[in-house]
Amino acid sequence: MRNDTITRRGFLGLTAAAGASSLLSGCGGTASDGKRHVEVVTYKQEAVKIFERLQDEFNATHDDIVVSITCPNNATTVMRTRFIREDYPDIIGIGGDISFSNFIDAGILADVSDFEGLGHVKPAYLDILETLEFVPTEGTFGVPYMANAAGVLYNRQMFRGHGWDIPTTWQEFIDLCETIRAAGILPLYFGFKDTWTTLAPWNALAIELAPSDICQQVNAGRTTFTEHYRETAEKIQALLAYGEDGPFAYGYNDACTAFARGESAMYTIGSYAVPQILSVNPEMDIDSFVMPGNDSSDGQVLNSGVDLQFCVMEACPDKEAAYEVLSFLLEHDNMQTYVDDQNAVPCTTDDFDLPDMLDGMRDYIEEGRMADFQDHHYPSEMDVAGQIQTFLIEGDVDAFLAKFDADWTRYNRDIIQKVQDYYATQA
Amino acid sequence: MGSTSKKRTFLIMLIPILVLFFCFNTLPLIRGLIYSFTNFRGFGGYDWVGLRNYVDLLGDARVGNSYLFTFKLALAATLLVNVASLVMALALDSKIKFKSALRGLYFIPNILGALVVGYIFNYFFTYIVPFLTNTTSILADARHAWIAIVIVCAWQSIAMNTIIYISGLQTVPEDVYEAGSLDGATGWNKFRYITFPLIMPFFTINMVLCMKNFMMVFDQIMALTQGGPAQSTESISFLIYNNGMAGGQFGFQSANAVVFFILIVTISVLQMRFLSSREEQL
Repeated sequence: MRNDTITRRGFLGLTAAAGASSLLSGCGGTASDGKRHVEVVTYKQEAVKIFERLQDEFNATHDDIVVSITCPNNATTVMRTRFIREDYPDIIGIGGDISFSNFIDAGILADVSDFEGLGHVKPAYLDILETLEFVPTEGTFGVPYMANAAGVLYNRQMFRGHGWDIPTTWQEFIDLCETIRAAGILPLYFGFKDTWTTLAPWNALAIELAPSDICQQVNAGRTTFTEHYRETAEKIQALLAYGEDGPFAYGYNDACTAFARGESAMYTIGSYAVPQILSVNPEMDIDSFVMPGNDSSDGQVLNSGVDLQFCVMEACPDKEAAYEVLSFLLEHDNMQTYVDDQNAVPCTTDDFDLPDMLDGMRDYIEEGRMADFQDHHYPSEMDVAGQIQTFLIEGDVDAFLAKFDADWTRYNRDIIQKVQDYYATQA
Repeated sequence: MGSTSKKRTFLIMLIPILVLFFCFNTLPLIRGLIYSFTNFRGFGGYDWVGLRNYVDLLGDARVGNSYLFTFKLALAATLLVNVASLVMALALDSKIKFKSALRGLYFIPNILGALVVGYIFNYFFTYIVPFLTNTTSILADARHAWIAIVIVCAWQSIAMNTIIYISGLQTVPEDVYEAGSLDGATGWNKFRYITFPLIMPFFTINMVLCMKNFMMVFDQIMALTQGGPAQSTESISFLIYNNGMAGGQFGFQSANAVVFFILIVTISVLQMRFLSSREEQL
């Protein structure tokens, strides 16, 4: 009676969502109190305190508009459950990933290209959003807010103590791992029991070794993953030798704790892990560098994607009020508060004080030398993370790549059809 | 007169339950069936795809593996649980000291949440067992991780099954044993020819419940392995939830759920038929 349980879960989600929306005094439009209501739902549960503060500040300074911002647990599922019932919030705060692509494709996001705040957003992030559209779609569907950066976190104190330098090429990186190991210290920690952690080094390597639009190219039938992902696969496999014994026994939490306690010199993960690491060891001096995937001295790019963007829903009745809320969120001081608390990378061109642990990536961020996480294009049901974990356990590059290509066509059948129809009509 | 008011009372009791059951069980089941013929993602529009989802199910290696894994787990756990809880029940029903206290103690696993138990065992398998035995974690081993899940599932459900067997043992009248002992039935023979046939109905219900519960294993997977390592512990329920709700395969996984539903009903009915034909009546 599996069906029964699934609907029970769905039902719980529905009641939770219904409860939330009734608490939030309905969404959108003018309510009985004569004020315009804007409901924002974001998926950044870890930033709930900041958003509560921003919400109160907005409501205190605006007489005619009331905003409510919530950050529910498991927000993407909550949002999807509400969408099934056609109960839309006014603004959603989501990541720039495959969900966003699907939402655009389903036609439930509004075009915000007339929002003037977009003028402050770094073009690189708007470009990233463009590439997330399955087929080129007229309009801009999100306002990039914060980005994250992934690469290698390192224990700065340990590096200074031993006089180790930051590597800028793959060869230097491997040499560094050897040096660290010779000093009797574990170079890397992975925590691959949680499959998603495999994507951190995978993404960081893939952006330097494979074309940034590889997924679109494959969808258009112009190339295969086998052709472009081999080197990435071989390099992530090579890294295993420098990590903890039995990396598939330890999860993300274990890895954060181990790195915080100085058990390894480096940790291949994104900046988002820093708060958790600091919660174990508040004194730790953490910095990060860009994972050097290739051997060209100027070919490195930072792995950075849109971590949080705001999308106005097509169903929102009062876009003007929604834009007012967005302008408020995009004010310099409000963004700085967020940056300080979440170690995030702001997406606008204003001057910000960036967190210390991004020192090693500052130049890349300022110059806009970055590329999006490739997994933002992978359908979540394909479970690429699980496939990478399987490959790292079994060690068979050919089987992994063949399965990647086969599964890709299987899981993206409808999208591939759409893309190829699009190009057929273009030609 | 009396019978009509009685009838009305029954109807008043029955109708709300029937309405609730229809709304929250039958209706979703029908909607699930409808979605199984679409490429619905869980939101936005969808197209009718006919039987494509069902055809895909047959050729999907990941779905196939999840069925294999779930069957393997359900069989192993059902056997383990029934043997262990029968032994436990015999022990707890014999003349021992602190019988009631022990029965209470052995029931505790059943009242703990499956997730809590899962997380505790997760720590146990990841740190304590490798430390004591100087091996690597069983949860990191794609070939043996399923055994860890069997152990956790069994550990928790032995409690309930033991209680059912104890209540079964108490239905066996003392005079049957006395008569048996006059004929020289003791030890294994007493169990084999007197006790077991008489508690057969309880064995049936335990086998069916166990099989059904373990086929639907979910929480333990969530807490212990999340389907890993190497996708070796993805149960059917886990895959349906994960790819249907979190991923964009609502339609496809609805088809999977329909197939799974039919399968569980079939297995339960067959099991009931086979086992209840062997029940003895005094």
